[in-house]
Amino acid sequence: MREFLADVVTTMNWGVLGYVLVLDASMLVLVVVGARTVATTLHWSGAEGLDRVFASPLTPGISVLVPAHDEEAGVLDTLAAVLAQRYPLLEVVLVDDGSTDRTFDLVAERYGLTPVTPRWRADTPVEGEVLSVHRATTGDPLTVVRKTSVKRRSDALNAALNLARHPLVCMVDADSLLEPDALLKVARPFIEDPDSVVGTGGVIRTANAAVTDRGAVLEPRLSRRWLVRIQAVEYLRSFLLGRTTWAGADALLIISGAFGLFRRDAVVEVGGLDPRSLAEDAELVVSLREHLQGAGRPCRMVFVPETVCWTEVPETWSVLGRQRQRWSHGLAQLLWKHRRMVGNPRFGAVGLLALPFFLVFELLGPVVEVVGLASVVVAAALGMLDPGTASLVAGVALALGLLVSTSVVAVEEFTFHRYRSGRDLTALLLAGALENVGYRQVHAWYRLRGLLAALARREPVWTAMPRTGFTTADPAPAEAWEAIRTS
Amino acid sequence: MSGLSLAAVVATAVLTGATLLLLAAVTVEHARRGRRQARDAARRAELTPLVYAALDGDDEDAQAGLEHAPAVLDDLVLDLLPQLRGADRVALGGVLVRRGVVARAAADLSARAPWRRGRAAALLGNAADTAHTAALTALLTDRSAAVRCAAARALGKAGDPEAALPLLRALSRSRRVPAGVIGMALLDLGTPVLPALRAALAAPPSAAAQALAADLLGLHGDLEAAGPLLARAAGRVQPLTVRRSAVTALGRLGSPAATPVLATVLAEPGSPALRRAAAEALGRIGDDAALAVLATAFTDSSAGSSSGDAAVRADCADALAGAGEEGRELLAASAWSSGPLGEAARAALSNRARPREARARTAA
Repeated sequence: MREFLADVVTTMNWGVLGYVLVLDASMLVLVVVGARTVATTLHWSGAEGLDRVFASPLTPGISVLVPAHDEEAGVLDTLAAVLAQRYPLLEVVLVDDGSTDRTFDLVAERYGLTPVTPRWRADTPVEGEVLSVHRATTGDPLTVVRKTSVKRRSDALNAALNLARHPLVCMVDADSLLEPDALLKVARPFIEDPDSVVGTGGVIRTANAAVTDRGAVLEPRLSRRWLVRIQAVEYLRSFLLGRTTWAGADALLIISGAFGLFRRDAVVEVGGLDPRSLAEDAELVVSLREHLQGAGRPCRMVFVPETVCWTEVPETWSVLGRQRQRWSHGLAQLLWKHRRMVGNPRFGAVGLLALPFFLVFELLGPVVEVVGLASVVVAAALGMLDPGTASLVAGVALALGLLVSTSVVAVEEFTFHRYRSGRDLTALLLAGALENVGYRQVHAWYRLRGLLAALARREPVWTAMPRTGFTTADPAPAEAWEAIRTS
Repeated sequence: MSGLSLAAVVATAVLTGATLLLLAAVTVEHARRGRRQARDAARRAELTPLVYAALDGDDEDAQAGLEHAPAVLDDLVLDLLPQLRGADRVALGGVLVRRGVVARAAADLSARAPWRRGRAAALLGNAADTAHTAALTALLTDRSAAVRCAAARALGKAGDPEAALPLLRALSRSRRVPAGVIGMALLDLGTPVLPALRAALAAPPSAAAQALAADLLGLHGDLEAAGPLLARAAGRVQPLTVRRSAVTALGRLGSPAATPVLATVLAEPGSPALRRAAAEALGRIGDDAALAVLATAFTDSSAGSSSGDAAVRADCADALAGAGEEGRELLAASAWSSGPLGEAARAALSNRARPREARARTAA
């Protein structure tokens, strides 16, 4: 019996080690290929013709949709950033989704909102009751919808979608800040490949501790909290380099809900965002792919790595846990709903590469990692673990993880170089190391709980993240900016 | 030591070595970048007055200084060029020619890397160098879509009207350039390309070229094109895209002579998109006859219940609301009625002003 148990535990240990090595090696490939694509993209810098996109009367208009639930901490900054976009034709539709704080009052006061009779342009189902629609009297192209909340971001977005009047719709979270050229950059693929491009997205970076002034990020800074710093590295790896690589293979599955641009007619055609999904952003992309590619129609999702949306990330373990649980639950929903696409050559690289990867490494990864850790503990308890061998193989896994994290920071330094101070760079490198020790294991536990919630068919509940708001500059921003630049 | 342990040790050593190398590279790059940026900023500060003196044209020392300046001058000039027009642009373009930058860019048009070809095309466009029109035209069939777009933009900026026809032809090749890019390039070429656009409307290389020509003639407000545009709008055998562009263009021209044709299009049972374009065009024209047509179409549309009918109804209401006091009075009569008609009227009246969009339209 003991021999059998020993065989099982040993097999599990080796299996998990092999899995982790393959996962990290895959990550390294994603990082290296992504870095190459980013470098190529940056070669075009200045020659992309953004000035012509801005000047052209043929540039399609954009409706920016902003769902907001209890976002008083940052909603005015978000709106300021969106309304300051350098884009020739845009409107903003903010949905106050049953806020219980001063979200609506702040917006009403700043923009002099007045009630209007809405003109609905689509009839995507909305569960919450629309209470009223308002428009700014300050000259800003801002419409605000007040509705009751059904605790789903997708419901608020669908309400906004029904009011959107332009051919492109951009979804932006109410705790996010767009850089001034963000819309121009993500709209360009729609102009240069209008028949195929259905969605585009940009990079999401952590805004916690960044110095801002009226929605503009003056100086990106790393938070002093290690949890936020680790997420900064994680975002660079997954949201910048990972998505760049997937998009290069025409297999992009996720355009972040914090910042994504889509063809309005296509979104309406698939019935808007899925109200039951907890990963409604990825769900939308996969639904569009299934609907369009399934019918033999072109469907290209483009990732624009030089476009940045700054967003708040969780600062405590409990909030992070809820967020990651929700993501994992949402991913399980998505893979189950679109299971016919997995491994299906009809859907090209999405069916053959991206979906199987997400199934094996993203969804099932936490199962393997947590079971693997448990098997090591069991093996040690039963005296079956050879400490020398265990240390050596753990060393290989750790060294590979460290190489991946350091590569991510190196790519950032050689390409975008957003964090200018040496202190931030050092912190980023250390955070990359720490990610492999502790964070990764706790993260696996959160994701496992999300997967279990999905398997138990637990009712999807969207939990709002507590907001801290953005770090604003001193009263004299220009001087502050100069001081920062010369420091 | 077993084979497995040895392999693990070697793998760990290799991975750790690679990590340490990366760390060293990051440290060196961070330090070097800081020094490089400071040096470039200082050089730019030195060179900027020279550039402005050269633009004044009478400072020979400045001209001579520019020709022997370090490479950062090229970046400075290339940053400035897109913001300049006329003699200033020619003067700075001359600096790039004398420094050999334009010749290097011309050579790069056949480089292997697409980004090199694209950057070279952009540079030649910014330098307003018409000597390379043929080479840029050849790039309109490049294997890289991004390069084709860069070439089209460059042709527009370079300002040679001879490029109009190749640009229009590029819309319908197998390696085509999209209408949004070609359209802006043709707009950049300005009024000298109006004859080519009129010709494309009359005898088009393709339906796409015809639709784009109609759009651009409308944006230019070219009254000479009114007749052919009317014919395209009225012709039921024309492709839908061409008819819609012609209808929109007629609205932009604002000539009341187009009202009867637009009224007919608005009353057609066919495409809601075409009818909506007609409603918007009639609103732009805004004379009494156009308002009467819109008011009638608005009221009659209450019979239709499809989403297309609702959209046409709403666009008629928007057009009336945007057509001045008289249009709004016509609309106000329906505003207090119940049902979809009243709702559309109220929505149009309360959503009329959209200042930023109005600005964008004026700019167009």
